[in-house]
Amino acid sequence: MSSLPTAIYTSPDLTRNFHVDPSKSHTTDGVTTGPSDHVLKAGAIDKDKPSLIPTDAKIGLLRAYLTTLQDDVNLFLTKRMAHDDLNSIEGDLERRILDDGVDEDDDDDE
Amino acid sequence: MVNLDQYLKPNQTEYYALGLEGSANKLGIGIIKHNIGQLTTLNKAEVLSNVRDTYITPAGEGFLPRDTARHHRNWVVRLIKEALNEAFGCGLHDSFKKLDCICFTQGPGMGAPLQSVVIAARTLSQLWGIPMIGVNHCIGHIEMGREITNAMNPVVLYVSGGNTQIIAYSRQRYRIFGETLDIAIGNCLDRFARVLKISNYPSPGYNIEQLAKKGKNFIELPYTVKGMDLSMSGILEFIESLANDLFNGKKNKLLIAKNGTNGTNEDEEKITIEDLCFSLQECLYAMLVEITERAMAHVNANQVLIVGGVGCNERLQEMMKIMVLDRNGSIFATDERFCIDNGIMIAHAGLLSYRMGDFTELSESVCTQKFRTDEVLVKWRDD
Repeated sequence: MSSLPTAIYTSPDLTRNFHVDPSKSHTTDGVTTGPSDHVLKAGAIDKDKPSLIPTDAKIGLLRAYLTTLQDDVNLFLTKRMAHDDLNSIEGDLERRILDDGVDEDDDDDE
Repeated sequence: MVNLDQYLKPNQTEYYALGLEGSANKLGIGIIKHNIGQLTTLNKAEVLSNVRDTYITPAGEGFLPRDTARHHRNWVVRLIKEALNEAFGCGLHDSFKKLDCICFTQGPGMGAPLQSVVIAARTLSQLWGIPMIGVNHCIGHIEMGREITNAMNPVVLYVSGGNTQIIAYSRQRYRIFGETLDIAIGNCLDRFARVLKISNYPSPGYNIEQLAKKGKNFIELPYTVKGMDLSMSGILEFIESLANDLFNGKKNKLLIAKNGTNGTNEDEEKITIEDLCFSLQECLYAMLVEITERAMAHVNANQVLIVGGVGCNERLQEMMKIMVLDRNGSIFATDERFCIDNGIMIAHAGLLSYRMGDFTELSESVCTQKFRTDEVLVKWRDD
């Protein structure tokens, strides 16, 4: 089906395509689109879940596909960011600048 | 007088607009009807539906953009259906055909919630083939306040969680005479409510008002009127530290009220949370009354219209009334249906704009967090 939504992630070292499989079940209540951890920890009860999608609602179904796609993208990016934080030299420099107050030009200074 | 029907379609006798509001934690959907001709006391705009759902967080918490946007996304379709059904009493497929335009809040407000609602507006506009009108949130408040109260040319005090402005109309602009230099008055009250950990339902400001009614002792707080402007962050900081001292049992001479009548037999009494709420309200509202009075004197006006969520506060209305009556003027305010953010005001202001031939192209429908009241050319007035 040509009308299915897709997403593409590109970076200098990686390209990743995201697709949805219409044969699988999809929901608008995604795993990464719930309330934030902060409000849940504060004792929030989630009263704002999306309503169930009627089977004949094309737009609702499209939203469910997009939610799946968004979940996939969010999980991918979160994993990649966590990986970057641990391994990247730039990430470490940024952390040192922000957290430890290290000057970016320290290495060049005599 | 401006002709509001210069773009009237053949055989059209009335206009209908759907309004979508979601600039903060309220999602409001409203449908308004205008009959052709000037809006007068005999030809009033008609509210066909005005539904709202508020994102409420646990006590002590504010509303975060991400969660507020999620609330709006997940409720918007249900609320639109409810509003259409209430307005026209028929199914979705028949009711939308009556609409002339879809109006949405384009700003100012919180980015993520605004964006959720603008997406709903764009989708409906394209699905139904109906033009969109981006509306300035503040203009929505002012125009709806004028329509409901019949205030013709008032000085407008716009007080809410995100805005504090004193406004007067001049030559097709609502001009800002004074405003907050830092936080909005509603934000000051909300944040103090968080310190007190009082409920956010139905709203923190309402709960502070109820506590304030029980307050007896006034504590002098910083009074920070700066010309025609106000500053409230310092007051908040000051009262927050008092509240923390009170909670922690820390000694503070400001937390002791002296109730002696003759100065020799003083009866000391501990300051309570209720006293703090009372003092905060009195101090903030006195500042608002002062700049409103000065604005009235500047523009030689005798009408005051209070709009925005904080405008529901009965103590503010009472204090303002004392000042206005002293000047032989009139005060106008609306109840919570129209004071607190709502969709109907967006529908009303958007429809006025639509009747003047305006609409917002899809490419121009980007919402903006910063959108000042005086940026809007008020084409529908020429007085």
